[in-house]
Amino acid sequence: MIGGAARLSRNDRLLGAAGGFAALVVLVGFGAIVFDLFQTGTASLSIPFLVGKVENGGRAGGIGPVLISTGMILLVCLAVALPLGTGCAIWLSEFASKIRFARAITAGIDLLASVPSIVFGLFGMVFFCRTLGLGFSITSGGLTLACMILPIVIRTTLIGLSGAPSNLRPGAAALGLSRVSTIRHLLLPVAIPGVVVGTTLGISRALAETAALIFTSGYATRWPEGFDDSGRAISVHIYDLAMNVPGGAANAAASALVLLLALLFINYLATLLADRWLLKRIAPTSE
Amino acid sequence: MITVENLSIHYGNLAAVRDVSLDIPEGKITAVVGPSGCGKSSFLASLNRLTDLIPGAKVAGEIRLNGKSDIVNDPGLDLLELRRTVGMVFQKPNPFPLSIRKNFELPLLEHGISKREIPGRIESTLREVGLWDEISDRLDESAENLSGGQQQRLCIARALALRPKVILFDEPCSALDPLASGVVEDHIAALRGKVTVVIVTHNLAQARRIADEVALFWVRDGAGCVIETGPANTIFDRPKDPDAALYFSGARG
Ligand SMILES: Nc1ncnc2c1ncn2[C@@H]1O[C@H](COP(=O)(O)OP(=O)(O)O)[C@@H](O)[C@H]1O
Ligand SMILES: [Mg+2]
Repeated sequence: MIGGAARLSRNDRLLGAAGGFAALVVLVGFGAIVFDLFQTGTASLSIPFLVGKVENGGRAGGIGPVLISTGMILLVCLAVALPLGTGCAIWLSEFASKIRFARAITAGIDLLASVPSIVFGLFGMVFFCRTLGLGFSITSGGLTLACMILPIVIRTTLIGLSGAPSNLRPGAAALGLSRVSTIRHLLLPVAIPGVVVGTTLGISRALAETAALIFTSGYATRWPEGFDDSGRAISVHIYDLAMNVPGGAANAAASALVLLLALLFINYLATLLADRWLLKRIAPTSE
Repeated sequence: MITVENLSIHYGNLAAVRDVSLDIPEGKITAVVGPSGCGKSSFLASLNRLTDLIPGAKVAGEIRLNGKSDIVNDPGLDLLELRRTVGMVFQKPNPFPLSIRKNFELPLLEHGISKREIPGRIESTLREVGLWDEISDRLDESAENLSGGQQQRLCIARALALRPKVILFDEPCSALDPLASGVVEDHIAALRGKVTVVIVTHNLAQARRIADEVALFWVRDGAGCVIETGPANTIFDRPKDPDAALYFSGARG
């Protein structure tokens, strides 16, 4: 027995070392990328760069219109994916248990999460741009992204809901609480951190998306005039500068830096919001 | 008065309870005892239709509260109102992960009690379970910070705040330490005459101490049923059923 214990602890140490090494590799890799971005990009990074219009195919000027377009695409995407995703997850977890193919639906949603984004791009182009007649537009891009991140939002909300204490539902029912109140006051608060995580992951995936957007929201670099206008998202811009525009490397790196910082900020904000929310639940009612 | 007639409960193909008929007197404490797995919890949950929540559970038979319409088969039954009238306290204390105050506000507002009335109800029911002096200055703290015994008394108070006619207890003391268990038991005993109490317990000594009536559940032919009922002061001494005699003497179960 003692020998077994010792061997286990040697294995533990080995596993610890291997894990530490893996973490180091990841950290060094990530560090190298960030270092490279900073080296190539910081020189062009400035306030005028953030608000200026795109000039000379992106080699000069700034990324103002690109940021605006990205924000608008994200807005459309979240406005659709958040309510639809949480609603769908709530339905699946709280109402569909008696429906036989609820499991099949959940499996289908998970499958959807692994579909390559280019497929969503082609779907969006056919369905939103042509069939619905929305054309190359910010709306088309946002809706396509919404389809893409919907599975993430649904899955994380489902995980959040399944984390509810098992005695919560019977406890609420035994007090004569309706299903709607139970969801609104007891289950949603439990699911909120999951929704926040799902949204953050979704936003990260959406912001990093090029394939789904090139065919749907297009690559116009002018200031967008509305949601029906075409607009270039930031990752499309980075892709274009890096691949198609000779001499665009510096501005590509600077744009990538902006994207990276935005993602970090969104992650930070999400954690903050989730914490705030948890605190508020305990505090007295203010209504 | 709760009249149960030919009640059967199935989980899929498994019969948890078969053909139980029982009268539960108003304002008294009725203890449901018996070895585990004989359908006590299932029986209790059918009295406020909490069995509805279990996928695959099927209830047949009749249950009438004060001679009113049968709650098992009445299609027009107001479930939420039934559960207000027939409250339930579980084995594991289950306060909502909210403030103590919100634990009361949520059900009270749901049942149309005005905001003005709520503080009064909170105070009076917390006093009934002896918690007011202990926690009146902590109402806005999380209910999960209370001790196990306090949480269980909070759950009793929360059920009482809805002014129910019946409260069902499913082994309410078995997750508590002996001291807290005693306090909770005393407060359940104090409900005598105010509400109808049905308490599942596998603690025979507890049943002896607090019950007016006792129903002994047993497994016969693979399903739970009632093999002995009677007033608490005689049932333990003169059981008619041989299994009941062995069980009460501590030799079986
Ligand atoms: N949710 C359920 N699904 C399937 N079978 C169940 C469920 N709950 C209880 N049972 C079964 O029903 C029988 C009675 O259980 P229960 O009512 O919990 O008895 P007790 O409370 O007396 O221990 C047991 O055989 C148990 O395994
Ligand atoms: Mg039980």
